[in-house]
Amino acid sequence: MSKKKEKPGLSGIPGRIDRWMNHIEAFILSTSVLLMVVNTVANVIGRFFFGESLFFSEEVNRILIVMITFAGIGYAARHGRHIRMSAFYDILPVRARRILMVCIASFTSLIMLFLAYFSVGYIASVYNTGRVLPTMGFPLYFIYLWVPLGFTITAIQYALTALKNAVSKKAYLAVNVEDGYEDME
Amino acid sequence: SGNDAPESETTGSTWRYAHEEFEGDVQDVYAHKFKEYIEANSNHSIQIFRFGELGESDDIMEQTQAGILQFVNQSPGFTGSLIPEAQIFFIPYLMPVADEDVVRFFRTSVAINDMFTELYAEQGLELLSMYPEGEMVVTADTPVRSPEDFRGKNIRTMTNPLLAETYRAFGATPTPLPWGEVYGALQTNIIQGQENPIFWIQSGGLYEVSPNLIFTGHGWFTTAMMANQSFYQGLPGEDQQLIRDAAAHAFNYITEYIPGLGDRMLERILEAKPDVTVTRLSEEEQQTFRDRAPQVEQRFIEMTGERGARLLEQFKQDLDKVMQD
Amino acid sequence: MATIMLTTMIVLLLLGFPMMIPLIVGAIIGFYITFDGFSQMNILIQQLMGGIRPTALIAVPMFIFAAEIMTRGHSAERLVNMVMAFIGHIKGGLAVSTAASCTLFGAVSGSTQATVVAVGSPLRPRMLEAGYKDSFTLALIINSSDIAFLIPPSIGMILYGIISGTSIGELFIAGIGPGLLILLLFSIYCVIYAIIKKVPTEPRSTWKERAIAVKEALWPLGFPVIIVGGIYGGIFSPTEAAAVCVLYAIILEFLIFRVLFIPDLFKIAKSTGLITAVVFILVAVGNGFSWILSFAHIPQNLLATIGINEAGPYTVMFAIAVAFFIACMFVDPIVVILILTPIFAPAVANAGLDPVLVGVLITLMVAIGSATPPFGCDIFTAIAIFKRPYWEVIKGTPPFIAILISAGVLITLFPQIALFLRDMAFR
Ligand code: NA
Ligand code: NA
Repeated sequence: MSKKKEKPGLSGIPGRIDRWMNHIEAFILSTSVLLMVVNTVANVIGRFFFGESLFFSEEVNRILIVMITFAGIGYAARHGRHIRMSAFYDILPVRARRILMVCIASFTSLIMLFLAYFSVGYIASVYNTGRVLPTMGFPLYFIYLWVPLGFTITAIQYALTALKNAVSKKAYLAVNVEDGYEDME
Repeated sequence: SGNDAPESETTGSTWRYAHEEFEGDVQDVYAHKFKEYIEANSNHSIQIFRFGELGESDDIMEQTQAGILQFVNQSPGFTGSLIPEAQIFFIPYLMPVADEDVVRFFRTSVAINDMFTELYAEQGLELLSMYPEGEMVVTADTPVRSPEDFRGKNIRTMTNPLLAETYRAFGATPTPLPWGEVYGALQTNIIQGQENPIFWIQSGGLYEVSPNLIFTGHGWFTTAMMANQSFYQGLPGEDQQLIRDAAAHAFNYITEYIPGLGDRMLERILEAKPDVTVTRLSEEEQQTFRDRAPQVEQRFIEMTGERGARLLEQFKQDLDKVMQD
Repeated sequence: MATIMLTTMIVLLLLGFPMMIPLIVGAIIGFYITFDGFSQMNILIQQLMGGIRPTALIAVPMFIFAAEIMTRGHSAERLVNMVMAFIGHIKGGLAVSTAASCTLFGAVSGSTQATVVAVGSPLRPRMLEAGYKDSFTLALIINSSDIAFLIPPSIGMILYGIISGTSIGELFIAGIGPGLLILLLFSIYCVIYAIIKKVPTEPRSTWKERAIAVKEALWPLGFPVIIVGGIYGGIFSPTEAAAVCVLYAIILEFLIFRVLFIPDLFKIAKSTGLITAVVFILVAVGNGFSWILSFAHIPQNLLATIGINEAGPYTVMFAIAVAFFIACMFVDPIVVILILTPIFAPAVANAGLDPVLVGVLITLMVAIGSATPPFGCDIFTAIAIFKRPYWEVIKGTPPFIAILISAGVLITLFPQIALFLRDMAFR
């Protein structure tokens, strides 16, 4: 054990930025879900009471589901909530777990960056075709803008996790989350 | 973007071809005729991918534009996001009703054979043929003879504003639903009807849950087969000719296959479920629906502007010509 | 290529990488080999997007949202109290009720993930309290949710019917028998489990206590009415029913019971978004993975090598069962049905098999494969929502899988289990 009590998270200015990012991501995530609820409920009410479905409803949900997924993967990485099969990892001693976690997190971070890079390419190709959402008429590439951002934020979170594990005595699932399966919020 | 099909003089290439339908449906029949011709007359071979095997309609279109598929069959209705003018096929009563007239229309139409070729070329696609798949037939919970009969009925449409406009003009309530939910929604009466070519009504079992067939004569389900343009233009002249010939071969086959297909499918439906009713609108009954087409045309022109207006004009001329002959 | 992809995936999986990594790395390797470099990675991204495109997926976050409101508020607890008042004194009663609720909810909602959340969230704590082990509880919830594949309306059966040209009406009816058989087998296992593990029962409630419990649950009983009545009655589609449940849950907990407040709404939305994202990113990468397999014609080549088109009926049935089972261990069931059904079509026709029977067998195998590790959306959903480690979620699975497989064998040997109701209705 170290003499000073080790704390999860980042300190100083990076820590402050990180906490702000956390709030922004949480806000986007919950707002998207609420919008999806409002949109879907409005569609039911429209069809039921006014005999008319909202034509854009399906397309709005399509946009929101991309936002939720890609705002959510970064947030999940930050809170160590991505699903993994930890059976083998769990039986290792702390030191080995830390080393393995450095490998896992840095490799995951690289893959996320890789995907971020190619999703920019994909957006460019959709942009070039000039395709639009058939009902609402606005450009299709628009709904994918979140994708590279989500991958990049996830990559950053995993890079920080790798660093945290490299410099710490304990093992961390995410910068802010110590290893273990207690309830986390 | 190039193509990744392995090229070799002696062994030939493998070309990939994707369409939007299931085994044995019209697009699949066309694809196999195309394949048959190519493989019989060259060393090349064709690999066919059906619905869902490489994604949805938009996906296979993008894959063709990216050059990893060489051929794609996409219905103009789905091409709407890429080529808004392609939605012209949703305007009611723009096409003849009788099988032979329709075939003649597709063979002779300037709009289809010249104007659309240009529109597709702008998107990097070499249009090889446009062909009819079948007359659009409405199924509903009761027989329908007039716009009044449509009142209060939720009719499922694809998610397309123009198609919705058509059904609004017809007096119904257009309800967009994905294809996978149609059967269940008919069964539970969330929707009271839908439209499709008769072979889809048969293969999708829709008559089981929506047993009144209505032949409104308002349109044909049309589809288009095309190649990636840079792939096509990079081929030697003889291969380009081979592809043209194969497309013509498949098109000719389809023009013989389609007439009567509707009747054969209808027979099968009536055999499976004898209490299915068939309503064929008379000339006067059709007229009450035809009178409502202008509001859809108006919407089409709003969406597509000058070019759309010109295309529509040409379509009408082509139609007149076919009906005069 | 398939071998390299699979080996890499299993190694990454076992080392404890986040579950999306093995799938995505498998796909990247596939793309690299097929296209000789990274030139077509755009298409991988396209397919990730395609995975989360289907409109039916919207029902999942809707039901998660409604379930979270119900469990944080009073609705869920009152509903469970009512059930307990009637069956609390029966050995295994709670487990059997859980299984039946999962099957019913899954059947109507059409979403097994939504079922895990909506039925699992309120019932799991109660089962733990009652003395059932967590691994048993989780496996019970996941596996009984998957029976819903067999009970109409079933998206898998509709797709199979369209692709193979089989009557969907007949498929629906044929699925009911096997579905109920499996539910019965699960129930028997629950009772045996409760007896062997000596799960204590509660004292029998008096009729007065029962009346009070029913009265308490009167408002929350609106949920099953909306879901079952609304969907079977033709008022709502599953997604709409989910949305109406959310609205109803908000009205109940925020306005009538007044136990939740506006800040709770944001908290619930946030956790709904988190769970949705964690599961949907896996749906997305699974779609990318299966695309490259399909593009490279790997399933076709594999089946051609074993000469499936000349095989006899039992061999074909066996091959179908194994292929769908294994594929669904890794890939989303809808995608599996779309890709594999046409490949087997000639073999089925050649062997002279009843396409309805084949449809039921396929749907059953799809259900088993989805609940079987390593990959499965229901497993992922359970991990995400109950915050339990992967190992614990899958530990209790084997007895259920064994029951499901014996059901598959029974249906193959005695097709009448499936065809009996069909023949009564149609022949
Ligand atoms: Na179902
Ligand atoms: Na699985």
